[in-house]
Amino acid sequence: MDNGISSLFKVKINFAESHTFFPTIVFWVLLILLLLIFIFNGRPYLRSLRNGERKLSLSLAHVDKLRLPGTLVLTVAYFLLMDYVGTFFPNQGLGFLFVSIPFIFLLSLLYVHRIDRRKILAMSLNALIAPSVAWYVLAQLFNITLP
Amino acid sequence: MEYFADLSFTFFMLIPVGVIIGIIFGAIPGMTATMAVAVCLPLTYSLNLNQGLALLLGLYVGGISGGLVPAILLNIPGTPSSITTTFDGYPMTQKGEGEKALKIGIVSSLFGGLLSAAILAFFAPLLADFAIKFSYIEKFLIIFLALTVIASLSKNLLAGIFSGVLGVYISLIGTYDISFGGNGDIRLMPEFLEYWLADGFSLLPVLIGLFGLATIMEEAEKGIREEDLSSKMVLGSSIKFSFSVFKGQVINLFRSGIIGTFVGMLPGVGGSAASVLSYTQAKNFSKKPEKMGKGAPEGVIASESANNGLTGGALIPLLSLGIPGDSTTAVLIGAFTLQGIQVGPLFIGENMGTWHTMVLAVVIANFAMFLVMFFAIKYIAKVITVPKYILFPIIIMMCVVGAYAINYGVMFDVWTLLIFGIFGYLAQKIGIEVAPFIIGFILGKSAEIYFVKSLESFGTLTIFFTKSPIAMFLWVLIVVSVGYSIYSTIKNRRQDKFDGHG
Repeated sequence: MDNGISSLFKVKINFAESHTFFPTIVFWVLLILLLLIFIFNGRPYLRSLRNGERKLSLSLAHVDKLRLPGTLVLTVAYFLLMDYVGTFFPNQGLGFLFVSIPFIFLLSLLYVHRIDRRKILAMSLNALIAPSVAWYVLAQLFNITLP
Repeated sequence: MEYFADLSFTFFMLIPVGVIIGIIFGAIPGMTATMAVAVCLPLTYSLNLNQGLALLLGLYVGGISGGLVPAILLNIPGTPSSITTTFDGYPMTQKGEGEKALKIGIVSSLFGGLLSAAILAFFAPLLADFAIKFSYIEKFLIIFLALTVIASLSKNLLAGIFSGVLGVYISLIGTYDISFGGNGDIRLMPEFLEYWLADGFSLLPVLIGLFGLATIMEEAEKGIREEDLSSKMVLGSSIKFSFSVFKGQVINLFRSGIIGTFVGMLPGVGGSAASVLSYTQAKNFSKKPEKMGKGAPEGVIASESANNGLTGGALIPLLSLGIPGDSTTAVLIGAFTLQGIQVGPLFIGENMGTWHTMVLAVVIANFAMFLVMFFAIKYIAKVITVPKYILFPIIIMMCVVGAYAINYGVMFDVWTLLIFGIFGYLAQKIGIEVAPFIIGFILGKSAEIYFVKSLESFGTLTIFFTKSPIAMFLWVLIVVSVGYSIYSTIKNRRQDKFDGHG
């Protein structure tokens, strides 16, 4: 009898398959947790939906429809271009420098409200100085690899 | 002091530099100490170990402290841990006592920081000595305990556990490392990604994405609102500060600092928990509790001494067990790995010099924080008014540098940054919590090795319960932390129902 119970807990791991042993357990734990979350939090939620206490419509009203997508587009373009431009100047970090300047300026332009000449001047100076300083200090003084 | 013989002038200069940058990050609402460390990481790539530590610990202490400035002057907590500082700090500003409130906060911060550094210096070696005897089984249980503690303190128990386990799962992507006894096979990814993900996601780009990029996306969603803060900010200096405010507050200082330190030790618990707890305690013990919340100095003292107590506290499990106490120390663990330090039970014993340097750096950083804030507070307060349209682009740029340079120029790490930036932004919308996720991610691979190796050598699951008294004790702690959280969930639910009907 004693043997019967302890054999329940016996585990033998095949070394060739051992890389999937733990991930499989974690995967099942995740699934069980999802199920539990659904039981404890999902059902009351659905009930309140059915009663009309809550509405399913995902409200996007508070989302800034210019600045959030703009940030994403600019960031992706920044990453792509930095890598591309960098291939023309291998190991000099110039791809980073040349692409950061317009990126910082455009992102500032995207974020700023009530634009005026003074702000444009500040943004332009910032876009020129910040990447240059970063590039000089990191790539030139500290020899850090930049795109 | 033989340990400090090789400390250079640069070491002592980098601490205040870190502190000042940290204070600036902490003082700007929406930017945190974690972000300060994440964004400044590339600066440490070329520094040596001691210099890197100086800068990082300076950033950490400064970042936690800076939050009190906008909390007191503008009623906006600069970091989550300064929420309770607004309760009494801002009313003081309204009464024209802004400068006095700031200085009370700064002195309390110094006290909390030093107290926690002392506890760190005393406690971390003890804990490490104890943990050295741990086998893989106890180590696995410690990780398991850390994850349950984080989960039980998060807003929703199940969501917290889910986030932690998800972090573990993501960390397993890549090769099952041969150097730790794995079989070197790749798992959890489609074949076409093997070239990029053979080593899994790098820790630092993940962290920088979650704490840098994700924050900016949240702000972008809100439209980067600009308020004219400079006109709103009045640094009332009509009433002068004097140290006599602290008369009768010594117990408060000690209690709050100790609460901060010990809450900081709990993995994944944010600073807000520490300051809220010590604020409530200060109120419970106060002789005039009715004045709390209306501009009582003791509220500011409780809050600030607790949130600086966090710094030393969070470093204790990091240095003695290798488990980060909060999200900032999670980034620090990445930075340490970069410098070749493996934190864990063996760390202190094998790196006495580094250990002493770290404690010294924390102490100096606290004094630097005090001097900078006490004498230059007027100028620091101005920093809050730097517009975000100038700051945020620079932060994204620094995030990119940090991610790209970490493995000497891997573009995939920059994409990792973007992936986890977007993930961090979306995660909060669907209830996944970042702190448990990140701790799961950091500890996941070790958890696997401890778990699988224990089973391979003992061949039975029961060993996790019967290996040693320590293992049993850890199980008791695990059960208590889960039980407590279930109990408090049920209590809250009842309370809600009661409130709903009443």
